[in-house]
Amino acid sequence: MFMTFALITLLGALGMLLQKNIIVAGLFMVATFFGVAGLFLLLANPVAAALQIIVYSGAIMVLVLFVIMMLNSHEEEKAETSRPVQRWVSVALVLALAFGAVKLVLSSAGVKALDLRGAAMPQAMTLQKVGTTLFADHLLGFEVAGLLLLAAMIGAVALTKRNL
Amino acid sequence: MDKLASLLHMTPAIFWMVAKVVIVFSAVMLLASVWTWVERRGSAMIQDRIGPNRAKLFNRWPILGLSQLLADGIKFFFKEDLVPTDANKKLFWLAPFLAFVPALIGFAVIPFGKDFVSGGITYHLSVLDPGNGMGLLYPLAIGGVAVYGVLVAAWSSNNKWSILGGMRASAAMVSYEIGMSLAVLTIFMTTGGYDPAEVISAQGGALWHVLPNWNIFHQPLGFIVFFTCMFAETNRLPFDFAEGESEIVAGFNTEYGSMKFSLLALAEYSHLMTASALVATLYFGGWQVPFMPDPPVMLSILSFLVKMLFFAWVFVWIRWTVPRFRYDQLMRLGWKAMLPMSMFNLVFHAWRMSQGH
Repeated sequence: MFMTFALITLLGALGMLLQKNIIVAGLFMVATFFGVAGLFLLLANPVAAALQIIVYSGAIMVLVLFVIMMLNSHEEEKAETSRPVQRWVSVALVLALAFGAVKLVLSSAGVKALDLRGAAMPQAMTLQKVGTTLFADHLLGFEVAGLLLLAAMIGAVALTKRNL
Repeated sequence: MDKLASLLHMTPAIFWMVAKVVIVFSAVMLLASVWTWVERRGSAMIQDRIGPNRAKLFNRWPILGLSQLLADGIKFFFKEDLVPTDANKKLFWLAPFLAFVPALIGFAVIPFGKDFVSGGITYHLSVLDPGNGMGLLYPLAIGGVAVYGVLVAAWSSNNKWSILGGMRASAAMVSYEIGMSLAVLTIFMTTGGYDPAEVISAQGGALWHVLPNWNIFHQPLGFIVFFTCMFAETNRLPFDFAEGESEIVAGFNTEYGSMKFSLLALAEYSHLMTASALVATLYFGGWQVPFMPDPPVMLSILSFLVKMLFFAWVFVWIRWTVPRFRYDQLMRLGWKAMLPMSMFNLVFHAWRMSQGH
């Protein structure tokens, strides 16, 4: 199961990068989101899986595709000149990031605990638990995120509306 | 149940799982196709016409034109399968499935009857057993994804009308999803759980000894918002902006014909069935029978079916009585009426709960 979802995620991401047509690339990205949702399910977190689909596949990508359709530019623009330096720098950066991420995960406390205690069946996440965690342990972060989103919303309204 | 399972060399659990999947999905598909007939006969009734009544089974029994279904199906199968030259062929093929699959699997989480015990094992009458952790978030997620069928069909046809239809559908879907989600959240709050089984069992009993304890009587505003949003989600009149026959030809399915069109139409009706089942579950007590604390299993299934089919009929009824909205009216209704109403509903019930009700 893990391999299936991981493959869906990775192939979706690869397809998105290689696809010249923006709409098809967007659909590949939706496939990636579904793969990630499947991975969340395997991690005994159905709530995160459902929210992943509701928020990313159901709302954000729909809006992105909407904007692309509205702008009516369905093909990626060709680069004026090829920039080999940028390409190599980006490849190097991606490699460094991937290496760093793998190293971070492998040296994390969770993996060490897994080595010591073996994989115990985790308790499945429920919406109630998400709520109590958000409002008990991460109240400040939650409120700050809410404030940030409110500011972004007001900013978007102020930008698009000519005469307020 | 056990005997049947052992005859097929299966454990009762697996046998039950397979049986549930087959029963639920074939029932939804069957009801969806029957509803194309109900729509045509119903519209004829409302407009004082006769409607389809000529197709006869074995050239003998007309059965109120019900055999029109078979005739339509056979006709769609044998029609030429056209793909426009400049269409994106792969996506054009994919789109009907993207529309049909979410419409069908959205039903999976809804309990259609009371649990029963046989041979010491409890059997749940829903494809996904209660306590799966997704609960009612699942139909919301699937409903959000359903727009891709319309969007992909619209874009891959490479037709101006289609793209207009697809854009309208995606905008409407996203706008109405917020109001709908807030209405459902209020139910989660007052129930204290988000599993459909919990939502239904919380609606048992009576309210003031005269009414069944259904959520509609607690949250009429939430029901209005949710039901309205369901019309937008299923893309049905008065909100059928993806099609809008008088404005943009046939919208997202302009280029579709033969079985692919049939699949898109079936997707719409399956979606309608899922939406009606959701309304029945959330606001009308699901399989609960009024004033009957512990109904027999068969009666509970019947009760659910009656409620679901009633709302499916209301969808048809409203389609042929209410004139369609204009696009800006739809947006105004969504953002300036449905969202504040839903918000008010949420805050009001939060306040009531804080007062200890």
